[in-house]
Amino acid sequence: MITNRRKHIMVAITLIAPFVFIFALVFLYPTLRMIELSFTNAALIGSGEWVGLDNYRRLLSDSLFYTSLKNNGYFVLLTVVPTTVIALAIALAVNRLAGRLQALVLAIFFLPYILPVSVVTQIWAWMLDFQFGILQPLLERMTGRPVAVFKHPAWVMPTIAAITIWWTNGFNVLLFIAGLRNISPELYEAAALDGASRRQLFMKITWPLLWPVTALVLTLQLILQLKIFDQVYLLSGGGPFNSSYVLLMMVYREAFQLNHGGYASAVALVLFVLIMVVSVLQFQLLRIGGRK
Amino acid sequence: MTGVTLTCVDKVFGSTKIIDNVSMDIAKGEFAVFVGPSGCGKSTLLRMIAGLEETSAGAIEIEGRDVTQAEPAQREVAMVFQSYALYPHLSVFENMAFSLRLARAPKQQVTRQVKEAARILKIEEQLDKKPSKLSGGQRQRVAIGRAIVRQPKVFLFDEPLSNLDAELRVQMRLELSLLHKKLGSTMIYVTHDQVEAMTLADKIFVLRGGVVQQSGTPLELYDDPANQFVAGFIGSPAMNFLSATVSAVTPAGVLATIEGSGGQTLEARLDSATLEAGQAVTLGIRPEHLHIRESGFNTSVEMTENLGGVAYLHSRLTDGQKIVIERRGERQSYQGESISVGADAKHVLVFALDGRRLH
Repeated sequence: MITNRRKHIMVAITLIAPFVFIFALVFLYPTLRMIELSFTNAALIGSGEWVGLDNYRRLLSDSLFYTSLKNNGYFVLLTVVPTTVIALAIALAVNRLAGRLQALVLAIFFLPYILPVSVVTQIWAWMLDFQFGILQPLLERMTGRPVAVFKHPAWVMPTIAAITIWWTNGFNVLLFIAGLRNISPELYEAAALDGASRRQLFMKITWPLLWPVTALVLTLQLILQLKIFDQVYLLSGGGPFNSSYVLLMMVYREAFQLNHGGYASAVALVLFVLIMVVSVLQFQLLRIGGRK
Repeated sequence: MTGVTLTCVDKVFGSTKIIDNVSMDIAKGEFAVFVGPSGCGKSTLLRMIAGLEETSAGAIEIEGRDVTQAEPAQREVAMVFQSYALYPHLSVFENMAFSLRLARAPKQQVTRQVKEAARILKIEEQLDKKPSKLSGGQRQRVAIGRAIVRQPKVFLFDEPLSNLDAELRVQMRLELSLLHKKLGSTMIYVTHDQVEAMTLADKIFVLRGGVVQQSGTPLELYDDPANQFVAGFIGSPAMNFLSATVSAVTPAGVLATIEGSGGQTLEARLDSATLEAGQAVTLGIRPEHLHIRESGFNTSVEMTENLGGVAYLHSRLTDGQKIVIERRGERQSYQGESISVGADAKHVLVFALDGRRLH
């Protein structure tokens, strides 16, 4: 087909221009301003004085920063791999169903994902309430006494992690289902003729062919879980004894409660770089792992 | 010795019978072809032999062993799928070695068997590549190679050439035929293409609606079809069918008046069937058996396809019945002309209105 190259480029530019404009306005510009802000002692509103690397130096000696960083890491450990494994298991199970039953079961698993975080946290706050929570008898049976999960340093993070998995898992299940449906049934038939057992079918066919989806789910989860804020803010407020305090809570507190715009920007920037580096690194590692 | 034996085999999906009481004997080393239109059950039958579909009733034996309830892997069959079904994440070598690796065969044996299969199929250069880097023909070879490596008792092919272009299809057809001669294994091949069936098969099974219509060598089916369906399905261009009425019974057979020919008759030979004057029948004549002759019936040529060596005259009788006449080395077009054609009595087949062949 003969195309007018110039016209072609003009159409392309016209089509991407709205996105580029909005991206620049609401992401690029604020990001640049935030980077600039992190080198000042500005309050939340108005500009401040240039202080160079002072905010970053202060960050390095702030014990709350290390606590938050550690909690972020802990939360990632508690959620990313478990949610991926659970989603894969559910997807494999759902994939065995057919027709309307499959649609129904899938809808049930996806349902929590459409709930707003405030509703999710409220449901679980009630269910786990120390005095009248419906799950307390269960906890009592496990531990011998009722547990105020959001006020207990050892329980708070795992509980929030479990709630987060329950809330967000449906989307991962959906991604895995899409991945599973992409695998031709004839591959399983060929492998069955080749003498593969059920376990071998999974290990030699399903798992390697699902690897790109798994890498995607792991990376998306990593990014999402590093940004943890809402659930912690609504369920435990970062406590008890900062045992669920995370980096975004620190940003929130410094910026909106203590009016330290510059310092909050520095923390935010560190989190931004952390997410970028870790997720790119992980995705590349997973890709290399997948090729082998 | 028997290769594959099916005894009264049924396949039922819900309330629909896909395969209906099929029995067949395929000798060891024979190249059998299941042919029939889409939905006739030929692929289902192949998958039942492979063990990929359960058998609702009847028995399947492979070299004398009842495998009706056996798992696919225990049947010692290998299958080449229409879509090739190559493992996309594995190299050609690993694709071909897959079954041996699962069986934990020694490394040297794996390498030896895979390389031998690659040599037979001339894909030694491709062993390190992933299937996505191969052409359709190469993928097909890998799929066949994967089957060869397993050294199965029976090779099953499910329309393996239908995704290839015409030229490659002809080439692969020849190679498959040579491969069969070289390996001497029992092969069962499913196709809807009767040219593939005719060129490859030692024995053809024509299926329709889950029932075997006829089985035999390609030429038996061509020369002596059991019914109108087989007669129409085998041969390209297809056999001409003309509606006719028996006008007289002769010592050798019958004279039948062809509808729409202005009262012209054709003679057909019959051995034992008894027909009466006035009975409606269908006459079957292959295009190459129709000749231009004065004492024939008139048709008008609508269009001529001349391929150089052979020409097909697409014609109609006055009542709209279509016939195709084959002419060898014809240089005249005849397009728009009216010609008179006839056929020798021995080449005119007679079918009852329900499609049965009358002998």
